[in-house]
Amino acid sequence: MGKLPSTILRRPSLATGCLPSTASLALPHHTPTSAATVNQSSSQHAAAGQVRHATFVPRSRRPYQFTQLVQLSDGSTFTMRTTSPLALYKSAKDSRNHVLWQPTEKSLRNVEVDEAGKLAAFRERYGTSWDLETPTAESAEAPSASGKQEGSKADAAAASKEGKEKGEKKEVEAKAPTQEAAPADPFDSLVDLISAYASEDKNIKGGLSAKDQARKDKSGKKK
Amino acid sequence: MASLRGLSRPARSVHVPQLARQTYTAGTIRCASSQTAEAAAPVLSELENSTLTAPQLGDEEKREFRPWKRAADRKYQLPSGRYQYHPPKYNRGPLHPIQSPPSSDPVARDFVPGPFNLPRLKQTYHSTIAPDLMTLTYTHVPPGTPEKETPQRLRGWDGSSPYHKNRALRGPRGGAVLRLLERDITFNNVPEIREITIASNVPDAVHDPDHLLVARSVLLALTGTTPEITKTKSNVVQWGIKKGDKAGVKTTVYGNAAYEFLDRCVHLVFPRIKDWKGIPATTGDSAGNLAFGLTPDEVKLFPEIEANYWLYPAKMMPGCRVFIKTSATSDRQARLLLEAFGVPFYGPIRN
Repeated sequence: MGKLPSTILRRPSLATGCLPSTASLALPHHTPTSAATVNQSSSQHAAAGQVRHATFVPRSRRPYQFTQLVQLSDGSTFTMRTTSPLALYKSAKDSRNHVLWQPTEKSLRNVEVDEAGKLAAFRERYGTSWDLETPTAESAEAPSASGKQEGSKADAAAASKEGKEKGEKKEVEAKAPTQEAAPADPFDSLVDLISAYASEDKNIKGGLSAKDQARKDKSGKKK
Repeated sequence: MASLRGLSRPARSVHVPQLARQTYTAGTIRCASSQTAEAAAPVLSELENSTLTAPQLGDEEKREFRPWKRAADRKYQLPSGRYQYHPPKYNRGPLHPIQSPPSSDPVARDFVPGPFNLPRLKQTYHSTIAPDLMTLTYTHVPPGTPEKETPQRLRGWDGSSPYHKNRALRGPRGGAVLRLLERDITFNNVPEIREITIASNVPDAVHDPDHLLVARSVLLALTGTTPEITKTKSNVVQWGIKKGDKAGVKTTVYGNAAYEFLDRCVHLVFPRIKDWKGIPATTGDSAGNLAFGLTPDEVKLFPEIEANYWLYPAKMMPGCRVFIKTSATSDRQARLLLEAFGVPFYGPIRN
C-alpha cells in the first residue's frame, strides 16, 4: 500500500477546523456539508459495488495467537507465536535428542544390549531374519549418511562415521558367537528363514496344539 | 508529548519552559555545536522529561488548580465518552480530504500488531546461516576477468524461408517454458525463505462438507492465518469430482510466521515422526521451491494440534502439502539453504 504523501492532516480529529472547507473545495459537485456526511454518503455509494475512485481497506482477519514458551528436551527455551493456548510447551522428542540431527551423540544410537544372551539365544533358534536391520544394511547406511551432509559439515560427518564404526564393531562382537559370517546377499536371510521352518517341528501348519505337543514331548522323554 | 501525557494533571498545567529549565545549563565556552544544542534544548528537555523529574507543586499552584472551574468556563461541549474515531472504509486517493490513517496507526483498518518476538530460525539465519552460505559458496574470480555472457537460449530461425525474417525467436525444445538460470550466491544474493504455502486437498468434502471445515480449522491452527478454500480444476469421473467443487484449503504464511512454521516442522514435528528418513531429495520445481507432504498422522504431531486434538474428528484429519518458496534460483541452492536450517534430505538428488 504505497501512499502518496499528502499535505493534508490524516486524522480529522486533528484538523476539525479546516476539513469541511477543504471538502467543499475539493468536491464542488457536493453540497457543502461536513466531512462526516460526505464520508457517509460516498461509503454508502461505494458499498453497492467497487468503484474506481475508492479502494476498500479490508480489516485483516487475524485469529488470536499466543506467545508460547517452548522448552526443548535439552532444556533450551524460546518463545513462539502459536494458536495453541498452552503457555509452556515441553517437548519430549525433538531435534535435540534425535539421532538424525545429533549423529555424534552416542547415547542416542541404537546399540544392542544383550547381557543375558537372550537375543543371541533367539537368533540361534530362529535365525537373523527377524532382525530389523541387518549389519550389511547398517554398513551401507554409514557412507550414505556422511554423503548426505554434502561436505559442508565434513568434520561432523567424519566424526559420526567414526562413531558409527565403533558402534558397528561392538555389534559385530556381540553377534560374533551367534553368527559366523554376515550374510552377503539378501537372499541368505530368506534361506535362513526357510531353513528355520524346515528344522522346526511339523506342527507349524495343522499339526498338534500346544497342549498336545507338550504331552507328546513328555511321552517322548519317558521313552 | 508522550512524557507529557505521563505527567499528572496538575503538573500538566505548569508551563513547559518551567519544566525545561532544570536540564538546561549554559556552557561557558561558546561554540557552534553548543549553540545548536541551546536551540534544541527546550525540545530535547520535553522529550527527556519524565514524571520522576517533574517539580513539586507549590501551595499557590495547587490553589490555582481548579478543574471544575475550567469545566464550567468551557464554552463548547467535549465529545462524549463513547466518541471514537473510525478510520474511513475506503481509500479515495491522495488528494481526497478524507484520508485513512497510516497502517502503523493502531486505529487503522489495516493495522497489524507486532512483531511480538524474533523467531529463533530467523535470528539464526541472519547471524549464522546467511554469512556461512555466502562464504562457503564463494568462488573467486580474479579482477579483470571478462563477464561471461549468457548465451541466447531462445532458438532462432535458420532463414531457409523468406518468411523467417523478423520472426520472433522460438522457445526451448520440449516446452514453452524457459527455465531459470542459476544465479551465484553473492553478498546481495543469499537465498532466503520467501513464503510457505500449506495446502490440503480433501476430496471427501464433495460428499461431506464437514471435511472442509475440519481441514480449515487444522490449517488455521497450524499457521494462525485464515485459510482460503480451493476448488477442483477439472472433472474427473473416476474420482467423482466436478469442476468447481470445493475440495481443499490452502494458506500462505510470510516472514516471521513462515520462519516459525519451518522451525516447528524441523525441530518439533519431524523428530517425532516414526522411522522418518527425511524429505526426498527429488523434490523441487527446479526454480528453488521445495515441497514435502505430511500425512494425517504426521499433521497431528504439531503442538498446536495435539494441544486440543480431541477437538478434531480423527477420521476427518487432513494431510497437507507444504511448499517452501525460497529466493534461490535452483533446487540445489534451495536444498543448501534448507539443510542449513536442519531439514534432512534422503535418496537420489534431482537437479
